[in-house]
Amino acid sequence: MFKLINSTWFKQSLRLLHHELRKGELTIVFLAIVLAVATVFSLTGFSDQVKQALTNNSVNTLAADRVLKTNTVISKEIKAESDGYGFNFAQKVELRSMVFSNDDMLLTDLNFVTSQYPLRGELLISKTNDLQETLSVKSPEVGHIWVDKSVLGRMNVSIGDQVEVGVATFIIDGILVNVPDRSFASVFSNPTIIMNRDDLEKTELIQPGSRVSYRYLFSGNNEDLIKFDEWVKPKLNDTQRWIDVKSSQSRIGRTLDTAEKFLSLASMLGIVLAAIAVAVASRRYGQRHKPTVAVFKALGATNKHIQKVYVLHWSLLSVISILTGLIVGYGLLQLGAYGIEKYLSLSSSTLTLRPFMIAVVTGLICAVAFAIHPISKLIATSPIAVIKGFEEKTSSKLNIYQAIPLVALFLLLYLFSADFVMSASLLFGGILVSIVLLYFGKFLMGLGRSAGTKAGKSLYLAMANLRRRANENSVQLVSFTLAIKLLLLITVMKSSIFSEWQQQMPEGTPNHYLVNITNAEVPEIAKFAENNSITTEGFFQVFRGRLSAINGEKTVRVNNETQASSDPKEGKNDEQSEGRRGMGRELSLTWKDEISPLSKIVSGQWWDVSDTTPQVSVEEGAAERLDIKLGDQLTFTIGSDEFTVPVTSIRDVNWQSRQLNFIMVFNKATFSDIQSTSLSAWRVSPDKKPLMYEFLSNYPSISVIDIDAIMVQLTTMIDQMSVAIELILILVVLAGSLVLVAQVQASMEERERELAILRTLGAKGALLRNSVLFEFVALGAIAGLMASIAMEIAVFFLQTQVFDMPFSLHLDFWLIGIGAGAAFVGVIGMLSCWRLLSLSSVTLIRRTM
Amino acid sequence: MKVNSESILKVSELTKSVQLEGKTLSLLQPVNLQVNAGETLAIVGSSGSGKTTLLSILAGLDLPTTGEVYIKNQPLHQLNEEQRSQVRAAHVGFIFQQFLLINSLTALENVMLPAELANIENAKEKGIKLLEQVGLSDRLEHFPSQLSGGEQQRVAIARAFISQPDILFADEPTGNLDTKTGKYIADLLFDLNTRLGTTLVLVTHDPKLAARCQRQVQMDSGLLKEVFNEKENTSDINHLTQKADDITDGEIIEQDKGQVCSN
Repeated sequence: MFKLINSTWFKQSLRLLHHELRKGELTIVFLAIVLAVATVFSLTGFSDQVKQALTNNSVNTLAADRVLKTNTVISKEIKAESDGYGFNFAQKVELRSMVFSNDDMLLTDLNFVTSQYPLRGELLISKTNDLQETLSVKSPEVGHIWVDKSVLGRMNVSIGDQVEVGVATFIIDGILVNVPDRSFASVFSNPTIIMNRDDLEKTELIQPGSRVSYRYLFSGNNEDLIKFDEWVKPKLNDTQRWIDVKSSQSRIGRTLDTAEKFLSLASMLGIVLAAIAVAVASRRYGQRHKPTVAVFKALGATNKHIQKVYVLHWSLLSVISILTGLIVGYGLLQLGAYGIEKYLSLSSSTLTLRPFMIAVVTGLICAVAFAIHPISKLIATSPIAVIKGFEEKTSSKLNIYQAIPLVALFLLLYLFSADFVMSASLLFGGILVSIVLLYFGKFLMGLGRSAGTKAGKSLYLAMANLRRRANENSVQLVSFTLAIKLLLLITVMKSSIFSEWQQQMPEGTPNHYLVNITNAEVPEIAKFAENNSITTEGFFQVFRGRLSAINGEKTVRVNNETQASSDPKEGKNDEQSEGRRGMGRELSLTWKDEISPLSKIVSGQWWDVSDTTPQVSVEEGAAERLDIKLGDQLTFTIGSDEFTVPVTSIRDVNWQSRQLNFIMVFNKATFSDIQSTSLSAWRVSPDKKPLMYEFLSNYPSISVIDIDAIMVQLTTMIDQMSVAIELILILVVLAGSLVLVAQVQASMEERERELAILRTLGAKGALLRNSVLFEFVALGAIAGLMASIAMEIAVFFLQTQVFDMPFSLHLDFWLIGIGAGAAFVGVIGMLSCWRLLSLSSVTLIRRTM
Repeated sequence: MKVNSESILKVSELTKSVQLEGKTLSLLQPVNLQVNAGETLAIVGSSGSGKTTLLSILAGLDLPTTGEVYIKNQPLHQLNEEQRSQVRAAHVGFIFQQFLLINSLTALENVMLPAELANIENAKEKGIKLLEQVGLSDRLEHFPSQLSGGEQQRVAIARAFISQPDILFADEPTGNLDTKTGKYIADLLFDLNTRLGTTLVLVTHDPKLAARCQRQVQMDSGLLKEVFNEKENTSDINHLTQKADDITDGEIIEQDKGQVCSN
């Protein structure tokens, strides 16, 4: 060790590093690595934490972190394994049964819950009819039940009264205000009653053959849950379903999924940008150290000696930068967490080792892979350079050395995302774009020259320079372009995700569903809404029915244990089974005269109002799944009625909107003699709520389902995501800016000598300044243009392949790209140039020799 | 071939040619030269005559196309880059027109460099002593960018002598300096050279500087010819000095503070 410290190369290396760090000569490369590490650390840490926090906040749609839904009691093994992890555990048994009170009876959904229920989210009840005061509760006491408000009206009972469930009697103790895992589908179903699990046996409702569904709820530490997932999944049979927030297919799950993908994408782009910055900076490092190496060699230093000096020099520099990067990254992470604290509590999420590891590995990979080529070239510098000079031709040709950073970049992306396809497409997309850009850039710069000849002297000089340096410039141009493209890409994706989210919550989105309105009541209810300026979506007659045959072929009931959705979207989940595929469950059927404005016909034709032939329009997705074509004959069963209608149109429905949507829509003629009730969706402002409840108390059979809680949750989550994404965007912009600064700085050095000569030959400062300005502005604008094109192509693939959104053009961002590119590159170029031009000619010449 | 034991540098039938656009361009015609220990030799000639090419081959920075070069009996033409580096570390010193100090090292550290590379002990003490001798004892911790051109070249001279090389190559050592500073630097160079008994090979345009050497050879289109030898009193010198005067006067550029070796 002592020998090592005392060796010449060790001392020389430390000496160089010490002085260069102090003199700020290593600042750019230091900053590049610091930024790479800091960006990756903070992005990874931040998005991990945000994801965790969002998941924590949204799991309450499940009332747990994981739910096992099954038709039978689960094995003790599963419970034991869960206990082994120390998970919180609750159970919910669901069955459908009649309840009785005096002469009234009502079909209800009974939920028997254990005392820990709910594990996540809040179960809210009210002890008063006006629902003004709510209590957050766990399970009801033995012998007590909580009921949906409609139960009171429809059975003529009130709080404190007794009802019979099965063979036992229970006291109504409160009205349900919020059930965290209430499914959206239940809006169209029976009223809910929540009871204590210990009362289940007392009711004697479970008999052989009864349809019972068990929900086992688990919550606990995320890492343990992931292990538990892996353990439990293989043990499940076909009738059991393992549900987490994402697999619940809910709108919240989808929003979360999009947000997660975006965060990952942003972080990956951040990594690419930081890696480019390191690549640019390390190339510059190599070039700047050439004279030193040449002098060392001329004075007798061997290759081995130089190798040791520079490997140590670079390694120490990398280690210092990586450590600094971790500290800066941690600071940014805290700052980010502080910034969104108001919107999103990160306290429940913990900082894991993952971001730390990824950041360190990123730093190391950047430091090794991106520097290996410039440093090996540096070490190979010939001592003859002390006589012949250090001029070097920038080559735009690809060689094997350039493959190393590419492989490294791929490794980084894969390490980060664990998504092979996304990493590969980002990488190969990038390479392809770079090659195209290289030639396209040269072509554009060629055009620039002919434009320049017609303009003033400075512009002419600038364009001549652009053209002459086309080779070097096209390499620079590629990195400018990539940086601008990635920034544009992230901005465009952000705004398109935001607007997609906003679309889910347009003004006037209904927050209450009114179900079970008799046809006689419709006019009075409609009048009330109109008088109080409540936005409604009209009244729909709703029939509960089954699709029983297609073209005379009976449909087979498919396993329908998958419907845990809080989505009004119907029949999304079905699995293949024998026979003609059917929906497997009851559907809400309705008739309409006019097609909903958010739907459009993809084939066939919407009926004429006067047409009295029964017919049906089918939603596109369902038609595809069930292989239904125009003209097919569909047979439906409603109660004991059965009827067959032809398919006359297939519709595309926007399920993302919160409007009322139906898979099967018929013309009015179809239902001419079938009894039904109506459904309506209302947007009710908070101040009008009491009025509405008061009015509706005159119509006890109408059920009101308040989905405000779900909506508020969704809106809050969208707000939280937006803030998180904004913050990540800032970090990515920082990384992108550093690439630009590093690249402009590097190119200014290449220009120094020429400036010196022109200056010496008597060119005026203004002429030089303007020509440099024009040159950089032109470079920036060309880069901006190419970036916009490349961005558009990338957005096309991302929107259609990754985010599952419709593609749109973003011409306004083209302007931003070109403008920002020109302005940023121009300003940075000018600033660097200003410094040079303020030096005297002699100093300039001396600096460049 | 047997090399004279007194000869430090021996060159025989040395040529250098390069391929340029498919044609062979001959930079050096067969050159023969011998420099003995303690001798001072000036290589003069106009720009493009091949003197710098010759210097780089003599110093082992470049290889000849054909022919032989020996420094202290070491056949440079047979050695690879690494071996030539070792020969340079052990036997060769350099002074460059552009000083070529390492920008991120202090004056003292620059001077110490060759001594460290040759594993000479007490590099620091020797460096300080040499800097004192070139009158820069108060500039030890200065960086090249903080020194004037003349001061930088004095540091370079100190650096050249620290490893007590057997042979010192100087490429236009005063070429980047004004007349007065140039003269001071030349005095310093020759003074140290005499005191330490180093063999000096000097490439220059400057006839006055060349005249201070014991021998002068002239490069002309790659051909080397001896024009003056103190011992043999060859006397092509008057004609040459006159010719050189014509060119050099216009070539001295006024310099101020600045740095050369950027890294």
